[in-house]
Amino acid sequence: MRVRSRHFKTALFGLVWLLAIASGVRVLLSYENTPGRVGNVPNHWPADSGIDRATDRSTLVMLVHSQCPCTRASVAELAKIMARVHGKVRAYVLVSKPHDRSAEWVDTAVWKAASAIPDVSVLVDVDGEESRRFGAETSGHTIVFDSTGRLIFVGGITESRGHEGDNTGENAIVSLLGDQNAAVPRSTSIFGCSFGNQQKKDKLCPN
Amino acid sequence: MSELTRPLDLLTGRADELFREQQENTYRDTDRLFARLMFLQWIAAVVAAVVITPFTWDGEARAVHIHVWAAIFLGGAITVFPIWMTRVWPGAAITRHVIAVAQMLMSALFISLSGGRIETHFHVFGSLVILSFYRDWRILISATLVVGLDHFVRGIYWPYSVYGVLGASPWRSIEHAGWVAFEDIFLVISCLRSIREMRFIANRTAAVEASERDFREIFELAPIGVVVVDLDYRFVRVNSAYCQITGYSAEELAMRRSLDITVSDDVGATEEMSRKLHNEPSPYYFEKRYVRKNSEICWVGCTVSLIRGQDNKPLYILGMVEDISERKKTQSELTLAKEEADRANRAKSEFLSRMSHELRTPLNAILGFGQLLERYKLDEKQKSCLDHIKKAGRHLLDLINEVLDISRIEADRLKLSLEPVSVTDALREGLDLVRPLAAEHGITLVGPIGANADSHVLADRQRLKQVLLNLLTNGVKYTPTGGEVCVSYETNDSGIRIKISDTGIGIPREKMSRVFTPFDRLGAEQSGIEGNGLGLALCQRLVRAMQGTIGVESVPQRGSTFWVHLSAADSPLKILSQKQNVTVDKAPSLFTEARTVLYIEDNFSNLMLVEELLKGEQNVELLTAMQGRIGLDLARKHAPDLILLDLHLPDLPGWDVLNQLQANDATRHIPVVVVSADATRQQIDRLTAGGARGYLTKPINVTEFLGVLSSSMNGEVVNHSAAA
Repeated sequence: MRVRSRHFKTALFGLVWLLAIASGVRVLLSYENTPGRVGNVPNHWPADSGIDRATDRSTLVMLVHSQCPCTRASVAELAKIMARVHGKVRAYVLVSKPHDRSAEWVDTAVWKAASAIPDVSVLVDVDGEESRRFGAETSGHTIVFDSTGRLIFVGGITESRGHEGDNTGENAIVSLLGDQNAAVPRSTSIFGCSFGNQQKKDKLCPN
Repeated sequence: MSELTRPLDLLTGRADELFREQQENTYRDTDRLFARLMFLQWIAAVVAAVVITPFTWDGEARAVHIHVWAAIFLGGAITVFPIWMTRVWPGAAITRHVIAVAQMLMSALFISLSGGRIETHFHVFGSLVILSFYRDWRILISATLVVGLDHFVRGIYWPYSVYGVLGASPWRSIEHAGWVAFEDIFLVISCLRSIREMRFIANRTAAVEASERDFREIFELAPIGVVVVDLDYRFVRVNSAYCQITGYSAEELAMRRSLDITVSDDVGATEEMSRKLHNEPSPYYFEKRYVRKNSEICWVGCTVSLIRGQDNKPLYILGMVEDISERKKTQSELTLAKEEADRANRAKSEFLSRMSHELRTPLNAILGFGQLLERYKLDEKQKSCLDHIKKAGRHLLDLINEVLDISRIEADRLKLSLEPVSVTDALREGLDLVRPLAAEHGITLVGPIGANADSHVLADRQRLKQVLLNLLTNGVKYTPTGGEVCVSYETNDSGIRIKISDTGIGIPREKMSRVFTPFDRLGAEQSGIEGNGLGLALCQRLVRAMQGTIGVESVPQRGSTFWVHLSAADSPLKILSQKQNVTVDKAPSLFTEARTVLYIEDNFSNLMLVEELLKGEQNVELLTAMQGRIGLDLARKHAPDLILLDLHLPDLPGWDVLNQLQANDATRHIPVVVVSADATRQQIDRLTAGGARGYLTKPINVTEFLGVLSSSMNGEVVNHSAAA
């Protein structure tokens, strides 16, 4: 009788176990594959931007949250892009920093990884001013303008949250930098932490 | 029961049992290993998540990253169930399969938490290897199925998460699963090999167990005590028979040393045994006494051997111990009985000796006066009566002499002088003595027949002649008229065999065993042939005393052959020429004046030897006598300068001759040198005290002989003779 009870308990526990694991995996997958928000991205290079746009080639800007662990994958993918395009683009990584935070706020693995990429300028974006100009709501937001300042690409360069590897954004950017008329997606989903720009907006305009 | 005769199914059954036991232990041990491993992996996942992705951010606001929660809760979910299974179903197949599935899920979690880093894929391969610790290839199937399913589903929906590419064909999944299967093949081979080894070990262990059980049973059920002690005599192992002998239980003995229960007088012998064991090859037997628990003393016979280690270093002493108390008691009783019997026998011999002496005295008168009466004129009837008296007297005298001889032999008081005796001489003398009797019975005497006329045996001359005469007389007496008695001898490797064959009535087979029994005439007492039944018994004892053997072969109505086998000996002359290499002819002369030497000796070979030795002495005249009385007469008549005296003479003992020489004024001054084979100190002292000037032992040493001869005749006392 006790053995039968033990069998039953085992079967029940096993079933619960499988369900729990399935549920957990589902939540995890859902989280990893849910893209972040995208703000109002200008079609042309914002005139009030403090960044120097290149006129002889395209300009790539990636806006990142210094603390976001998922962004390390985006920076790694940027490194691959830069390796593949061989100087066809001027690249910037703008690391957001609240004005009241010390310099240590940006001195993170993301900063270090970005700084290590050749031909990439890493800049501090105090209080997310540039982020707002470029309509960035999510860390890893990548935008590309051509030499005339026209927007040719906006989106993320990872296929899911924090996941390195082949992705649509990277392939599109590389293609567009070679041929601006290439038949590739001009926008992709962005996976990363939020810059909190929406929060700030909400604070400013609660309604 | 040896391994060969043990039923195979019993051995196989035990081997199966051992194999299952070992397998069960492996499963349980590996279950425990995985329980700990999974817990550690869980902790590692949480730590990794906290370190790598602690928070997710929304501007400046942060929240715990979902990876941390996944590590805690999903990792916990993956871990808890298999750990619970190891507690509830340890060693069960379902537990192994759950662990296999969980371990692969843990791999998937690690891959996910690391953002799909390729390095974390190695966790899958490592996990498969660790799963093979179970030595159960079937769980690799469960694990591989989980991996394959994971790759298949992800390959379809999230290929970048597993392959790092945006789109992957189904072949990619097959390729990935193929690598896992590749590893699986070797792990399965390894598992099967391990199982074979486990089976082999189980078979060997079962065989060793069986052998050990047999040994234990033999050890325990051995009818004699078996004990193992270390080199300090501490008990290591004892069987029940040993406990029974000592009265102590095995537990009580375990706290003692072997020496503690050994009688203190025997401790030295025990330690000596131990020392000998180290030097001599085993085994070694000795006897000692134990003090039983109830304080009784018991005798034990111990056969001990040394047990050495692989490096030949002595480790233990193995002893087979037998209680010999009863045997010792019986031995002691037997010794006492033998001593008692010997005493009784000596008393009997003493009695016979005294009785013989007491009987001889009146017999002397009977025979003496009987012979005296012959000188008177007697009528036929008186003569017939006198013959009866003399015949009965002689018969009684023979009987007394033979009884006396037998009693002397049994009392070990018979004095023998073993020396080389010429076989042909002895046989001729015997034949000469029996010839009148043979003629009277109409019996033809043949012989002696032999290849080597110079054959010598080691014997006492008088006693050998007595034996031969007895056998010849029997042959003549028991052979019908017209028959034949043949005497021969032959030499073989072990000595010389003298045969006396007759064509007489023979001895029936059933009576052969009684031939040498005293007073048993085998029914001849009915035949009217004279005899007392002691002759052959005496012959047997005399031959044995001369270290020879005697036997008989007989065919009824066809005749008998009695044989005497004695050791061969070299003749004195041969010994002389071989050992001393003395050329007597060339020896310088010892005496310038004329000397006379009398040699009283019944052995013709010895007489010849002395003659030969003195041949070179021009001034020495040698007189010889083969009997004591003749020697005394010659001594009185010639007053020689020296008498050489043998002790064993046919008519008088040499001792009597010496006494008579010393007793007579005419001969007292003549130096006497005894020449005898009897070299005992007691005999030499006795004769020297009795008046002998010197003592020479046979075989004669020429230098000493001549030295003694010279010294004696020059008036020196030579009591430091060669033998002395």
